[in-house]
Amino acid sequence: MSTLRPLVIALKKELRDGVRDRRSVSSLLIGAMMAPILFGVMFTAMAGRRRNAEEMKLPVVGVEYAPAFIDWMKQQTGLEIVAAPADPEQAVRERKEDVILLIEKDFSKNMARAVPAPVKLISDTTRDVARPKVARVRALITAYSSHLAQLRLIARGVAPSIALPVRVQEVEVSSAQERLATLLSILPLLLVMAALTGGMQIAIDATAGERERGSLEPLLLSPVPRVALAGGKWLAASAFGCGSVVFSMLLTVNVMRRVPWHDMGIRFRVSDGELMSLLALVLPLALFLSAVVMFASTFARSFKEAQSYIGILILLPMLPGLLATMYPLSNRPWLAPIPIIGQYALAADVLGGKPPGAAFYALAGLAVLACALVLVGATSRLLTREAIIFGR
Amino acid sequence: MIEIQGLQKRFGTVEAVRDVSFRACDGTVVGLLGPNGAGKTTTLRLLSGLMRPDAGTIRVDNADVVADPIGAQKHMGLLPDSRGLYPRLTPIEHIEYFGRLHGLDGPALTTRVKALVTRLGLNEVADRRVSGFSQGERTKVAIARALVHQPRNVILDEPTNGLDVMSTRAMRELIRGLRRDGCCVLFSSHIMQEVSALCDRIVVIAQGRVVADGTPEELRLITGRDNLEDAFVALAGLETEETP
Repeated sequence: MSTLRPLVIALKKELRDGVRDRRSVSSLLIGAMMAPILFGVMFTAMAGRRRNAEEMKLPVVGVEYAPAFIDWMKQQTGLEIVAAPADPEQAVRERKEDVILLIEKDFSKNMARAVPAPVKLISDTTRDVARPKVARVRALITAYSSHLAQLRLIARGVAPSIALPVRVQEVEVSSAQERLATLLSILPLLLVMAALTGGMQIAIDATAGERERGSLEPLLLSPVPRVALAGGKWLAASAFGCGSVVFSMLLTVNVMRRVPWHDMGIRFRVSDGELMSLLALVLPLALFLSAVVMFASTFARSFKEAQSYIGILILLPMLPGLLATMYPLSNRPWLAPIPIIGQYALAADVLGGKPPGAAFYALAGLAVLACALVLVGATSRLLTREAIIFGR
Repeated sequence: MIEIQGLQKRFGTVEAVRDVSFRACDGTVVGLLGPNGAGKTTTLRLLSGLMRPDAGTIRVDNADVVADPIGAQKHMGLLPDSRGLYPRLTPIEHIEYFGRLHGLDGPALTTRVKALVTRLGLNEVADRRVSGFSQGERTKVAIARALVHQPRNVILDEPTNGLDVMSTRAMRELIRGLRRDGCCVLFSSHIMQEVSALCDRIVVIAQGRVVADGTPEELRLITGRDNLEDAFVALAGLETEETP
């Protein structure tokens, strides 16, 4: 008999078995949920924080000492001056307030004598939430200060530019897309995890599970090549892995459509083309990861033993993924043929708005597929080992 | 027809099978009898082609098991000592899966599955998932999947292990039926009554060697014991160990 027919038979059986297995189905779903849930929470929180800084309430102590300054502040959009609590430092320490402005008694007197007028900005910079607000208030004070300085120089007949030896103009090189890429750089990692967890249960069940149940020996008595059985099992696991990735992508897209990008100061939305490119990268990886899990699980006598192997294996896609979020792998398309790392590198370029050429996708895809096939071949050779067939 | 010549297999320092040779002809039931650890299961595993012997030849209907295990497996139906099932599949799905792997399909497969379900009395549970099946029901499913391709040589490793009286009877009936169909049936057992009730010939194995091979009648003559159980004990060399 040819190899293809028994392969399809084994594939169909494993798929049917997998669909009926609550564990397989739930791991597919959990794998798929990680990305959308994390993104939903992450983006909403970030957007909320920005919005907080844009429309903020600023408690001020000593409003009466600086009426002109306070009037100027009140003219700024999105800023409301409110009364400060009795003990401002305590209030910030207890996180009741993010930032409090304290105007000293000598403010007007110093102002009149052209001596620096004292104000205090009370904040806790260890708090991420407070940082944009503190930055905004400090910027406003600086703006007011330089505005006054210019007026004073003009009054003394001096050109204000003399007091400005250096002017800083910030030039942002990264496009809005690239800034978004740093936010989105975690998406490839989540998709890869979906690929891994989606197919994991079937890959374990079809190898270690088969050994644990004592159904491997009867199965191997069938007159079919081992590689057909290994191939069918592998494709079934891969199908679940791919399903998990696609499902994860669909949910993530849905979440992204609802993200208040505008509040984050980003006008850009990830295009469908880019999402398709990510799929083109991660789907072949699902085939590879299933092959890895299947190969490792074949050594295990039981489901539990296999899971302990997978606990270590899970670091394989996770570590490079996490590192890639910290040290971006963009602009290194030559990494393409290295499984996992190549995918992260190309994904970083896709999300950075500089999609690599089709040849790189092909290179990355073929490289992982070749590795997967080697692993499937190795698994089918393991299935001829007496220690594995009979070792229970 | 099964022919085994000079079979040897060792695991590390343990010689599980030292010298096993016998022949099982079509239309007969041969019992492989021996105490626990005598090498019965190892012999059957070698016969199945999943384990390679260190020395010796195995032929099943002229197919060489060692040289071409997959070719030989087509002629064999084997109930190994591990008879695990897929808990989420039904008996019919089990039988169909193995039937397809043996190259059956379409109406031929459907007919065959139906026939097996009826023959093994699985009708009532045929569409239920096997998780929660009794030991007897599980064994029946395992046998059905081993017989789906109508093998001419049926090899059963301790087929009545863990079965109740009724299931044991059904199993004996099945073995007799296979003999009537002209199959060559080889089964291992350590239970005397079972072997004497069923077998045309008995091969006694002890410590990895064939110590006797003949009809129940011949074995009684060789040992000079009327009782087959006594004959077995004498042949297997158990007597000296048990009576100080």
